[in-house]
Amino acid sequence: MTDTTQNADLNLQLNRRGFLKGCTMVAAALGISEAMIPKLVEAATSAERPPVIWLHFQECTGCTESLLRASHPDIGRLILEIISLDYHETVMAAAGHQAEKSLQDTLDKYEGKFLCVVEGAIPVKDKGIYCQIAGRTAVDILAEVAPKAAAIIAIGSCASYGGIQAAAPNPTGAKGVQDLVSGTPVINIPGCPPNPISFLGTVLHYLTFKRLPVTDNLGRPLFAYGRRIHDHCERRAHFDEGRFAEQFGDFGHRNGYCLYKVGCKGPGTFSNCPSVRFNDVDVWPVSVGHGCVGCTEPDFWDTMTPFYERLPDVKIPGTGIITDVDSAGKKILGVTAVAVGIHAAIGIGKKLINSVKDEKKES
Amino acid sequence: MIYYEEKHVWSILLRLYHWSLVIALIALTVTGFYINSPWTQTTLEGAGHYPIQTMRNIHGLAGYLFTAAILVRLYLLLFGNRQERIMSMLPLTRRNLRNMINAVRAYFYLHDDPTEVRLGHNILAGTTYIITFVMALFQIAGGFYLRLPENTFWQTVGVTLFSNQQHARFIHHLLMWYFIIFTVVHVYLVIWNELKHRDGVISSILSGNKFRPRRIK
Repeated sequence: MTDTTQNADLNLQLNRRGFLKGCTMVAAALGISEAMIPKLVEAATSAERPPVIWLHFQECTGCTESLLRASHPDIGRLILEIISLDYHETVMAAAGHQAEKSLQDTLDKYEGKFLCVVEGAIPVKDKGIYCQIAGRTAVDILAEVAPKAAAIIAIGSCASYGGIQAAAPNPTGAKGVQDLVSGTPVINIPGCPPNPISFLGTVLHYLTFKRLPVTDNLGRPLFAYGRRIHDHCERRAHFDEGRFAEQFGDFGHRNGYCLYKVGCKGPGTFSNCPSVRFNDVDVWPVSVGHGCVGCTEPDFWDTMTPFYERLPDVKIPGTGIITDVDSAGKKILGVTAVAVGIHAAIGIGKKLINSVKDEKKES
Repeated sequence: MIYYEEKHVWSILLRLYHWSLVIALIALTVTGFYINSPWTQTTLEGAGHYPIQTMRNIHGLAGYLFTAAILVRLYLLLFGNRQERIMSMLPLTRRNLRNMINAVRAYFYLHDDPTEVRLGHNILAGTTYIITFVMALFQIAGGFYLRLPENTFWQTVGVTLFSNQQHARFIHHLLMWYFIIFTVVHVYLVIWNELKHRDGVISSILSGNKFRPRRIK
């Protein structure tokens, strides 16, 4: 094990060894042959790499943070070395008018050639006034940049599907890039945050093969989002064997049993987390004892919550009752049973009354 | 004076469909509850009991039986005998609409004419069965999407109908409750009709024959 806790002599320079290591990791994540690695390296060092415009809208900068994690200077450096960032509000040196000028210059100079990365959702309600940069709304900026880009990479769940901003009741009318852009190819790298390897893999794939990787129905690259977390989980054996953590901190939890009963959303989530893992220290939520929250799926704030329950609650219309599915089902079943009982009682009662009447008639 | 005439109503295929559905629904509900919230805890490690996988296997098997039954019903809706076809189940003609209204009134004890009892389903029941049929299609789509999430076809269907897996699981669970409540009402009303009309509706799903009341003029 390399010492990852003491970064006293942290070297931010990317050496050749680190560079090749990074490219090899990406090739593994992409699932391509090792014979292709030289081509990846060639593409990553080519002088004709497209510049990148990185737009920040409604977001927390967590996706950028995750990419630039200092715990693994290699990957963070690799990304910054490979892509030539002409505009990135978090890491660029320029500020104010200078920064906006560099955006305009890139737009003019590299029209149709640059890559656009979008981080964060775009609010469209009330003419988009809820997110403005340099006095312009996010909607306007995207409308100007998107048609001129060669391709758009939506990084994070917000840029892909709206994320937490788009959670009900979605007060700012937040939307993902794919809902607003047509004509330019868009690829989604959802996650909160997404794995840097998935982002890097998409970029390197684009540089090497001059096209975006194959995606699923939700616009996510299949190499990273093609498999279900549950099927690759290290706790899967416990699930199959029926060993569960009933609550956090109990015997099952301490022994690393399956987190299914404490609300893990791994069975409904597609991502490479169990195999690629995070932060160079081989961890991901489930490995440290917390269930998956399903952050790579559309509308996960609405459909994956409550995070510690198996299923969402239901609202029984007209009563204001919010309860879990099974107790709602039992209540409705109870009402049905009572209705059936009353119906039968009326039938029997009517028959008794009629028979009494008939007897009177006969007598 | 009323006499009863024996009439053939349900084809063998429809009866097989019905009882396959009964078996499938019982198996699916029990295993479904277990899969959603496994009530056992395997304490002995390495014993190789695999309770979840056993339940999931039964659930899958019963799911295929359910699907097969629904496909048979689809065939019968289009090519079955007169009682089994879709047009004799929905209130699309004036006659059927009147029958539906009378069926509602009969269930509220406001109408009683045994000679009006239809050979097949009354239209209220027929309409409920068509709604249940549609629910079953959603249940099948959700089930296959949950079981084969990486299959491109089911992924397309699932994402279109339910947006994501967790939502599909939620709808799948809610629809299970629909089928439970449907079963309770169905069994009650079948008994009610049997006692009320004496047309042998219960035995008809075994023998295929009903007894049609006729007034002697």
